[in-house]
Amino acid sequence: MLLDALRREAPADPVPETRSADAGSLPPPHQPAPAAGRGIAVTARDLRKSFDGHAVIEGLDLYLPAGGFTAVVGRSGCGKSTLLRLILGLEAPTGGRIVLEGPETGPRRSDPPKRIMFQEPRLLPWARVVDNVTVGLSGQGSRAERRDKALAALAEVGLAEKAGHWPATLSGGQRQRVALARALVGRPGLLALDEPLGALDALTRIGMQDLIERIWLAQGFTALLVTHDVSEAVALADRILVVEAGRIALDLRVDVPRPRRRGDPDLARLEGRILDHLLGAEPNV
Amino acid sequence: MMRPTPLARLRDTALPWLLPIAILLGWQAAVSAGLVSNRFMPAPLDVVRAGWEAGRTGELWTNLWVSTLRALSGFVVGGGIGFALGLANGLSRVSEQLTDTSVQMVRNVPHLSLIPLVILWFGIGEEAKLFLVALGVFFPIYANTLHGIRSVDPALVEMGRVYGMSRTELFTKVVLPGALPSIFVGLRYALGIMWLTLIVAETISASSGLGYMAMQAREFMLVDVVVLAILIYAALGKLADALTRQLERACLAWNPAYRSA
Repeated sequence: MLLDALRREAPADPVPETRSADAGSLPPPHQPAPAAGRGIAVTARDLRKSFDGHAVIEGLDLYLPAGGFTAVVGRSGCGKSTLLRLILGLEAPTGGRIVLEGPETGPRRSDPPKRIMFQEPRLLPWARVVDNVTVGLSGQGSRAERRDKALAALAEVGLAEKAGHWPATLSGGQRQRVALARALVGRPGLLALDEPLGALDALTRIGMQDLIERIWLAQGFTALLVTHDVSEAVALADRILVVEAGRIALDLRVDVPRPRRRGDPDLARLEGRILDHLLGAEPNV
Repeated sequence: MMRPTPLARLRDTALPWLLPIAILLGWQAAVSAGLVSNRFMPAPLDVVRAGWEAGRTGELWTNLWVSTLRALSGFVVGGGIGFALGLANGLSRVSEQLTDTSVQMVRNVPHLSLIPLVILWFGIGEEAKLFLVALGVFFPIYANTLHGIRSVDPALVEMGRVYGMSRTELFTKVVLPGALPSIFVGLRYALGIMWLTLIVAETISASSGLGYMAMQAREFMLVDVVVLAILIYAALGKLADALTRQLERACLAWNPAYRSA
């Protein structure tokens, strides 16, 4: 019953944001240019992190401009995931500091949130798809508003018709799209992606990459992608950081215009260069 | 998946009942043919007749009501305390360190061995039964609630924190639903222990209830009433189990393992 109601409702009402009271802060989902003004800029100075005396990040300096798409690549264990968790505040640094600057100096509460997409979807198995998406709006607005926004976010990732389903009935790619909707529904200023597509098959992964790029262009948040898939980094990012032994070993701009075609020779050359660097770095590991 | 044919569905419904019905028929036949003495084991029809008699005089309903009330009140008290302590110890390290060792020690004492002590304390009044049932029900609920909370996926808890859930939201949306399957396991164990404890307590020391009815019947050699009481216990146990199963299906519908076919 509930399911049918949702199915009927979803297509008839694709942009329910206009209904919500605080819609002023929300750009329409299909705005063409990278919507400026919402991204969070990240600065890290002499960042250090060690676990049980073992240094993972050693004096790393970093600046991520607001609204950019940066990819961090490196071998497993190089500290790239730790870097992301430090920036998100999931771990406390051992030394140095991280500054996140929102778009305007206003009251702290109005800062756009920072969100993360994990390698696994981490959906609540006991909550319907739409209720999983409203998790991204914890503590905001009324129940009905949250639900409307969640349905809109699901429509953005092409899963409006799955709103009333249990996560267990979705495919791996669909679950990751629900996780993306949950990350986006709160209109984040910073979206961290921790190898979110690693567990998906090749075709699904390409579809997800296109989806993430499209939404990033439309919403203008700062994106930080951690991945070990160099071709993914090259396809999506403006800038690629290669991390080695807790430091940034290589900082490359990707000037190839969008939309990027898969198999573009410029991208392939860049990918080759990064791979050469990674493979040449520590051949004994 | 293949859709079950009507025949297959009939088979699925009938199969679990095949054995009990066969036993009943065999039993009736054995007593009717005189293979088994009536004094040793009454025929099913005699038991039905005894049930009819007891129901007509109202004696059965009074005793049934008294027993059910005892079982439920003991269950609510013991289960409530077990659930609360399980939650507290699952969520708070201090609370666990303070109480868990003591609970584990007490747990190893069979609660029915306390019957002589309980009779000394409370006599054979209602308190004695309530105490024993509550004590018996407490442990499975406590242990499974604690285990359920412990086994909630830490990745989901981290996700909830990152997404700005308050402590209350984290509990109601992540921790409690995650612990629920385990809590239900405890609930079903507890229901079994609830009936067991009550039967023993009523058989040994009571002036009303199903166990008392059975013991009275033994005094007068009314084998059919004794068997009737035993069968009612079996039916009540089955009923409690079926209700829990329904509750499980409603609460754990998200879990493919509990979804009804």
